[in-house]
Amino acid sequence: MNSATVTMDQKKIEGSLRGYMILLFLVVLSWSIFKILTPHNFGTLNNMLSYFQASLIASVGAVGFYFVMVMGMFDFSIGANIMLSAIVGCVFATKLGLGYIGLVLGALCCGCLVGLFNGSFYVKLRIPSMIVTTGLALIYEAVANYIAGGVEQTLPAGLRMFGQMPGDIVLAIAAFLVAYVFLNYTKIGTYTYAIGSNEFVARNMGINVNKYKVLAFILSGGFLGIMAVLTISYGSSMVAVTGMASMSRNFIPTMGCFFGVAFKKYGIPLQAIIIGEFIINIIFFGFIALGAPTAIQDVITGFALLIIITVTTKINKGEIVK
Amino acid sequence: MSEIRLQVKNLCKSFGITKAVKDVSFSVNKGEVHALIGENGSGKSTLTNMLTGIYSIDSGTFVLDGEEIHPKNQVDANDHGVSIIVQELGTLSGLTVAENIFLGHEDRFVKYGIKNTKQMIREANELLHNYGFDRIKAQRMIDDYNFEDRKLVEIVKATYFDPKIVVVDETTTALSQEGRNELYKVMDRIRAKGNTIIFISHDLQEVLEHSDTITILRDGVYIDTVKSEDVTEEDLKRLMVGREVTGDYYRSDYGSVVSPEVVLSVKDVSVPGLISNLDFELHKGEILGFGGLSESGMHEVGKAIFGASYDRKGSVTLQDGTEINDIPTAIQNSIAYTSKDRDNESVVLNQSIMDNICLPSLDELSDKRHMLSDKKLRDFADKFAKEMSVKMVNVDQFVSDLSGGNKQKVVLARWIGKDSDIVVLDSPTRGIDIKVKQDIYQLMDRMRKAGKSIIMISEELMELIGMCDRIIIMKDGMISGEIERHETLDENNLITMMV
Amino acid sequence: MVAVGKTEMTTAKEGKLKKDISIMSMVKTFLPIVGLIIVFLIFNILTNFRMIKNMSLVLSQIYVTMIATTGVFFIMTMGGLDFSQGSILGIASIVVCMVSKINIPLSIVCGILTGALIGAFNGYFYVYRKIKSFIVTICTMFLFRGFIKYLTTNAPVAGSAALINYDSTGLKVALTLLILVVGFVLFRFTKFGTYLKAIGAGEKAAMFSGIRTDKMKFFVYVLSGAITGFAAFINVIKVGSVTSSGGSQLETQILIALVLGGMPISGGAKVRFENIIVGSLLYIVLNSGLTMMGFSTQMMQLIQGIVFLVFVAVFADRKSLQVIK
Repeated sequence: MNSATVTMDQKKIEGSLRGYMILLFLVVLSWSIFKILTPHNFGTLNNMLSYFQASLIASVGAVGFYFVMVMGMFDFSIGANIMLSAIVGCVFATKLGLGYIGLVLGALCCGCLVGLFNGSFYVKLRIPSMIVTTGLALIYEAVANYIAGGVEQTLPAGLRMFGQMPGDIVLAIAAFLVAYVFLNYTKIGTYTYAIGSNEFVARNMGINVNKYKVLAFILSGGFLGIMAVLTISYGSSMVAVTGMASMSRNFIPTMGCFFGVAFKKYGIPLQAIIIGEFIINIIFFGFIALGAPTAIQDVITGFALLIIITVTTKINKGEIVK
Repeated sequence: MSEIRLQVKNLCKSFGITKAVKDVSFSVNKGEVHALIGENGSGKSTLTNMLTGIYSIDSGTFVLDGEEIHPKNQVDANDHGVSIIVQELGTLSGLTVAENIFLGHEDRFVKYGIKNTKQMIREANELLHNYGFDRIKAQRMIDDYNFEDRKLVEIVKATYFDPKIVVVDETTTALSQEGRNELYKVMDRIRAKGNTIIFISHDLQEVLEHSDTITILRDGVYIDTVKSEDVTEEDLKRLMVGREVTGDYYRSDYGSVVSPEVVLSVKDVSVPGLISNLDFELHKGEILGFGGLSESGMHEVGKAIFGASYDRKGSVTLQDGTEINDIPTAIQNSIAYTSKDRDNESVVLNQSIMDNICLPSLDELSDKRHMLSDKKLRDFADKFAKEMSVKMVNVDQFVSDLSGGNKQKVVLARWIGKDSDIVVLDSPTRGIDIKVKQDIYQLMDRMRKAGKSIIMISEELMELIGMCDRIIIMKDGMISGEIERHETLDENNLITMMV
Repeated sequence: MVAVGKTEMTTAKEGKLKKDISIMSMVKTFLPIVGLIIVFLIFNILTNFRMIKNMSLVLSQIYVTMIATTGVFFIMTMGGLDFSQGSILGIASIVVCMVSKINIPLSIVCGILTGALIGAFNGYFYVYRKIKSFIVTICTMFLFRGFIKYLTTNAPVAGSAALINYDSTGLKVALTLLILVVGFVLFRFTKFGTYLKAIGAGEKAAMFSGIRTDKMKFFVYVLSGAITGFAAFINVIKVGSVTSSGGSQLETQILIALVLGGMPISGGAKVRFENIIVGSLLYIVLNSGLTMMGFSTQMMQLIQGIVFLVFVAVFADRKSLQVIK
C-alpha cells in the first residue's frame, strides 16, 4: 500500500460522506426556514416523522423508476400505472375477497405487467420511450376507468395496514432493500449503469440491451405497484381519472429520481432518493403550515422540480439537448 | 513457430455504397505480432471490427485454428479467444473497475441471481496486481481514473483470459511513453505464450520495432504481407500510398512566391485545455498546413478561426479589421470550414443535398421580400453539386445515402457556392478513396491560384508536404515548429517536431 | 452505427427492400389524408350523415387546436416538445378575460404577450440551462396549471360580456386561416422553415452552417407561446369564462393531432406543413365521430391511445435516431 492508494480510499469514503452531508444540510436548511417562519405548527419531531412517512410512498416508486431513468429512458405513465395498479389491487382485495394478499399481489403484478407493456412497446416499436408511454398512459387510464366502473374505489378500513405505522415503513423498507440488492448485487444493476453509460459499447460487450431495457421497465413497474398499495392505503380510495389527468402523479416520484441521478456520483443514489423525497415533503408541509392555498402547491411542485433539475444539470457547451 | 492461427478468407464489407473491405485474404501465425497498416480508410479497423464482432461480415470468413468463426459481439468473440483494445475509450463510466473488467462475464460470480461483488473485486485486484497496475483499485469507480489508466484497465479486460488473438487498434496514439511501454510489455508476454497480436498503428517506426510481420491494406484491398526485418519505412510508405508520390497527385510547383498580403491574423488565441497562445497569419493565395498528433490541439485551431470554439480568448481578425467571434460572422465574412467530424458537424445527414448546399447561402438566395423560390434553390444546388461532380440521383437525395467522399464533395460544394475566400479544411481527405482525394487536391490547387487562402489541418503528413506553402506543427496545444514548402521535405522533418 | 448490422444483404434482397421502402414511403405520404377521408365517410355512414349536417359544430372545436398546433409544429420540427400548451392557453385565456373588461383589442395583445412570456420561460430553461424540452415543459405545465387553479379557486374568471359579439364562425375561420397562411409562407418560402428543419435533422451541423441555433430555438418557443396566446382569444369568445381546467389536455390533443397528420416525432427534414391541417381535422373528425356514435369517454380515450401508437410507429423517422431513448 503506497500513500497514493490510501488517499484514494479516503476520498471514496469522503465521497459518500459528502453526499450525506449535503443531503443532511438540505434537510436541516428546509426545516429551519419553515421553523423560523411558522414556529408553532411545523416541524416537531412528531411532525417530521409523519412527513417522512408520507414521503416513503413516493420514494418506493422513485427507487424503481431510477432503473429506467439511469438507462436514459423516461416514463410518462407512472401516474396511470399507480392509478391502475391501486384499483386492480383494491378490486382483488375487496371484490375477489383476497384481502391483503390480493391487494399487494394484485397491485404488484399489475405494475409489472404495465412495465412489461411499456418496455416491450418501446423496444419493439423503436419509438422514444416518453412518446410510447404517453400513448400507453391514455390506454391505462381508460382500462383503469373500466375496471373501476367509473366509481371511486375505496379500500375498507380493515385493509389499511399499509397506510400507517408500522405497516407502511415495513413495506417501504422491504422495497428499498430489494432495490438495493438489484442495483448492487445483480447483473441487472451493472447492466443498467452500463447501458446508461454507453449503449453502443454495452451492446458490443454482448449485453442484450433490449432485454435489460424491458427488465428495467418491469422492475420500475413493480415498484410503482407497491407505491400504488401505499398510496391507496394512505389515501383510502382511488378515483380513475381520464384525459391524462393521472400525469400529475408523475411528479413526486420523478423529483426523487432526479435526486438519485444527481447523487449517483457520490455512490448513494437510493439513499439520496429517500432523503430527497423527505426534503420535498418538508417543503410541502412547510407551505401548508404557512397557509398557502392548496392550488399553489402545484406551482411549488412544478417550480421545485424545475429548480432541482436546473441545479443538478451540468451545462456542457456544445452538447445537443432536445 | 509459423503455425497458422488465423486465416482471413475473401472478406468483404460495405457501408451503404462504400466498399470498405474488398475481398481481403491473408493469414496470421501463432506467436507473432502481426501489424496491419494502411492509410486512413484503408479498411484496417473495419476488418478487425468484423473479427471482434463489432461489425457484421458481408461475405467471406475468418478461420481460427482451423475452425470458422462468426462472432456476434465482443463477448462472443472473447469466447472464441479473440479480443480487442479499441482506439477510443472502451470502458463504461458509472461502473467500478472490476465491473468493467468482467462486463459480460459476470455469470461466474453469480449464484442464485446474486452477484458476489467481493469475489469479483478480489479477482480483479489479483489481475491488476499480476499486470503490475497496483495503483488501480478494482473496487473504485472507473470515473476516478484518467484516460491513460482507463486504457490500462481495458488492456487487462482484453487480455486476462489468455485470448488466442488480441487486436490492438491504434491504442498507442492515445498513450504516453510510459503507457506505451506497459502495453509493449503486455504484448511481449502474450507473444511469449504463443498467442498472437494484431497490431494497428500509424507510427511506422513503432510498427517496425514491435512487429514480426506486416500486412498492408490500401483502399480496402490487400496489398502485401512482409517480414519486418526485410523492409524499411520507405518501403512501407510506398506500399501504403501505392505509388511514388508524384506531382500529378499533389500540386507540382515549388518555389512559387506567396503574396505578402495578410488576409487573416490570429493573435494570442487560447482555448482552455486545447490550445494556448496561438499566433500566426494567413496570406492571400496561400495553403497553410497544420500538422501534429491527433491530440495536439490542431483540430481546435480550425474551430477557433471559424468562431466555433467555446471560451476562446485572443483575437481572430480579417484584413479589414473585422473580428471573428462566432460562426455566423465568420460565414458572412467569407470564411468556410469543413469539420473532421463530417457526419455531425459538416453535413446535416438526414436532409437533402439541396438543403445542405443552400444552407449558408439562404440570405443571398432570398429575394427582397425574404422569400425563397424552390427553383432558384434547386438550380443553385444542382449547379454546384455538378461542379463538384457529386455522384447522386438528384439534389433531393438525402446526404445520408452518400459515400464519405461524396459527402465531403457536398460540403465543398456548399462553400464554393458561397464563394468563400478563406477556407479552413480539417482532415478533408479523411476516409476518402484515392480518386476523390485527388479531386480535392486539384480543387485546392485551383482555389489557391484563384487567390483564395486555405488552411489545411491534417494528420496525414504526406498530404501536408505535398500541398502546403507552409506547415505549422502543433504539440500540446502550442506551435512547436514551422516549415516552408520545399522539394526535399520529408515526414521525418515534421515528426521530430511533433513528438 | 446501429444500422451497420443490417447491411448483410444480397442485391436481390436490396431490390426487394427498395420496393418495400417505396411502398412504406407511399403509405407515409397518403395514410393521413386517405385516413381522413375514410374516417369521415365511415362516420357519416354510421351516423346517417349526422356529422356532415353538424359540420359547423364539429369544426367549432377545431380552431383553437389548429392554431396552437401550428406553433407546436415549429417546435417539433426542431426536435423539441412542448407539454405546457394547455397551461399557456389557460393562463392566456384568464388574462384575455380580465383585460377584455377594459379593452378588447388590448386583451388580444395581452393574451399574445402572456403566451410569449411563458414561451420565453420554457425557452430559457431549455436553451440556456440545457434541460430537455419535455422535462421543462411538463414542469411548467404543472406550475402554470397551479396558477390557473389558484386564480379560479372561488369562481371561474369571466370575460367581458361584449366578447359574445365576436363569436362568429366567419371571424374564427378567418383568424385560423390567417395563422395557417402566415405559418405556411414562413415555413415553406423563407429560410425560417429550412433552418428549423436543419436544426431538427442535425443541430450541430446546422450550427456549423451559420445558423444561430440557440437564438432560433428560443425564438420558436416564444413564437409558439405567442400563437397559443392568440388562440386564447378565440377560446374565450367561444367559452366566455375560464375554469380551473381551462385549456387542459390541449398538449395531448396537439401531440395526437400532429402524429395523426403524419409528423415524424423527432422532427427534421421530413415534416410537412400539411401535417397540421390533416392531423387536426383527423383528430376532430375521429373525436366527434366517436362521440356521435355514443362511445363513452374512456372508450374514446382507449381508441385514441391505440390510434396514436399506431401512427407514431408508422411515422417515426428511426434513421435519424441512432440510439432511441
